[in-house]
Amino acid sequence: MPLSLNYLFRRLFWSIAVLAGVTLLSYLILVLSPGDPAAKWAGNPRGPGAAKAVELARKELGLDLPLHLQLLNFLRMVFTGDLGLSIAYKQPVYSILWRNLAATLELLFMAYIIGIPLGSLLGIFSALKRGGHLDGVLQTSGLALANTPAFWLGMAIFATLVPYGFTAYGRISTNLAIATNFQIFTGLYLLDALLQLNAPIFFDVLARLLPPALAVAAYPTGVCLRIVRTLMADALLEEHVRVAVAWGVKRRTVVWRYAFRATLPGLVQVSGLAFAYSLVDAMVVEYVFGREGLGRLLFDAISVSDFRLAIGLLIVVATFYLIINTVADVAQALIDPRVKL
Amino acid sequence: MNPLEQRINNVAGSIGLIKRAWRRSARLKAGLLITFFIAALAVMGQHLAPYPSEGAGIVPANAAERMGKPPSLEFPFGTDNLGRDVLSRVLMGARLALLQVLLVAGASLGVGLLVGVYAAYYRGAIETLLNYATEIFLALPAIVLALALRIALGQGLHVVVVSLVLSWWPWYARASYVYARVVAEMEYVLLAQLAGVPGRIIVFRHVLRNVLPAVLVQAITDLGSVLLEASAINFLGLGLRPDEPDWGIIVQNGFKYITSMPWVSMFPGLFILVTALGFSMVGDSLREEVDPRMRRRWKLWF
Repeated sequence: MPLSLNYLFRRLFWSIAVLAGVTLLSYLILVLSPGDPAAKWAGNPRGPGAAKAVELARKELGLDLPLHLQLLNFLRMVFTGDLGLSIAYKQPVYSILWRNLAATLELLFMAYIIGIPLGSLLGIFSALKRGGHLDGVLQTSGLALANTPAFWLGMAIFATLVPYGFTAYGRISTNLAIATNFQIFTGLYLLDALLQLNAPIFFDVLARLLPPALAVAAYPTGVCLRIVRTLMADALLEEHVRVAVAWGVKRRTVVWRYAFRATLPGLVQVSGLAFAYSLVDAMVVEYVFGREGLGRLLFDAISVSDFRLAIGLLIVVATFYLIINTVADVAQALIDPRVKL
Repeated sequence: MNPLEQRINNVAGSIGLIKRAWRRSARLKAGLLITFFIAALAVMGQHLAPYPSEGAGIVPANAAERMGKPPSLEFPFGTDNLGRDVLSRVLMGARLALLQVLLVAGASLGVGLLVGVYAAYYRGAIETLLNYATEIFLALPAIVLALALRIALGQGLHVVVVSLVLSWWPWYARASYVYARVVAEMEYVLLAQLAGVPGRIIVFRHVLRNVLPAVLVQAITDLGSVLLEASAINFLGLGLRPDEPDWGIIVQNGFKYITSMPWVSMFPGLFILVTALGFSMVGDSLREEVDPRMRRRWKLWF
């Protein structure tokens, strides 16, 4: 086993330290930017109750304490899961985040289920045809896919589908969900529908999920195409591939078992990095398709200056990023016996 | 040392490199052409735009009769819901796009280089501290950071630039740290130390200078991604004001009318795509030229 418990503990400790850093940084943005931090924390309220709301926020943040105590106080708030009520939603921040995270993850997973295999296949194909015209075309389209603004692609897909009777706005048809007595367990609707063997809901959710997922999938497809092409071209020159061909091993086996196998560690690493970027894409595309999710929260938080929600989003996304990085490193160690953690 | 650093360490070498890449790579030609086109627009967009005032966001007097016109000879890109000429807005957007991208890339490169090089040269507590800071900022997504800054500082260019710089510099810090670790072990650095050259001069003259070319190529490749993220931030209404001629904002202007007047969003989006593609093509083909492992032009036995 190339993986040690020691490594995982070190990684966990480091992640918590980074999260604490993220928290402190966001507190510094709140306190050091011009204006009254208490008013910002209360959402810049106006009207008769404003003074009271600001006073409450001041007590909550402990702004009369010295700065290091304030920071400790704030850290405690973040890590005990008590960021107070969101101003936009009038609900506890963490419960809103938790509910919406599932929606975003569903979209992201779907995009990666489409993007990674598609990109890998095209990349392998491109590597086998390297030097040819097709290779050039595929390489350029890979670049173009990776450079397409996701929100714009989402709008294009939406506008294309509308004339064909596409009305699937949002994540799920509420009427259908009530009619078929659909229960939510995990928050990933596709999985929930599958668990309950609820076919109409499954296809409804899928039809609403696929168009935005395609828009989000553009980036991983393009990145994957290019990285697989590069790594595969290297792998095909390796001695063991040459020997396998000389021995008359079947072409398919050479391509998949000998050459593609060698690209996997690099592919996993790049996918992990791309995941962080795709999360942003997913958030914007969600907003375009009117789906629930972190992107919707982002948009709703603007108009009422919901700083608590912003902090919550920062913490959740940073956590997510750290987890994905760890998973990518661990997966790399599991695939590649040369990597020791 | 990777081949990249060795080859573009001096000016003559880098010019020769670009010349050879130009001859060999159609992609570099296309990329440079796009980049020059956008740069020319950024300089002259004001004068090329048929309706400069509408480009700047001012609603024309006869808005009622002009709104929502599809592309025609008079309005090649159509008009938006307020009767503004989309062509003018898009042309004038080039300057804002380039401004944002260059500010972000320049500042991130500067901060990242300094942090990476200092961490690699001084080691010890400074190294740990700087690497810790790098990790923190690496975990922050620009778009959420932009939300926090938008609430704290209000709308404007500063939100886009600051949030993007805060989330981009750690990538360059990491890259230059890795390169600088190698450079700091070099004999000429040791000799400079023995000769009594103070550390702050060694850091700049011997380490940073040799790290710069490699990270610079990385930054050129990243210009496209920066543009995409900046557009996303502006699209969500976190950055610039809603009447500025930024491409992301023009896409947002057309968002509500996507089925009735799709041209409003289509053209600025295309400009984002093509510009980002141009930057990536330049960076990519330069890297390919510099690193021969990426260049596999010959066909093998199957």
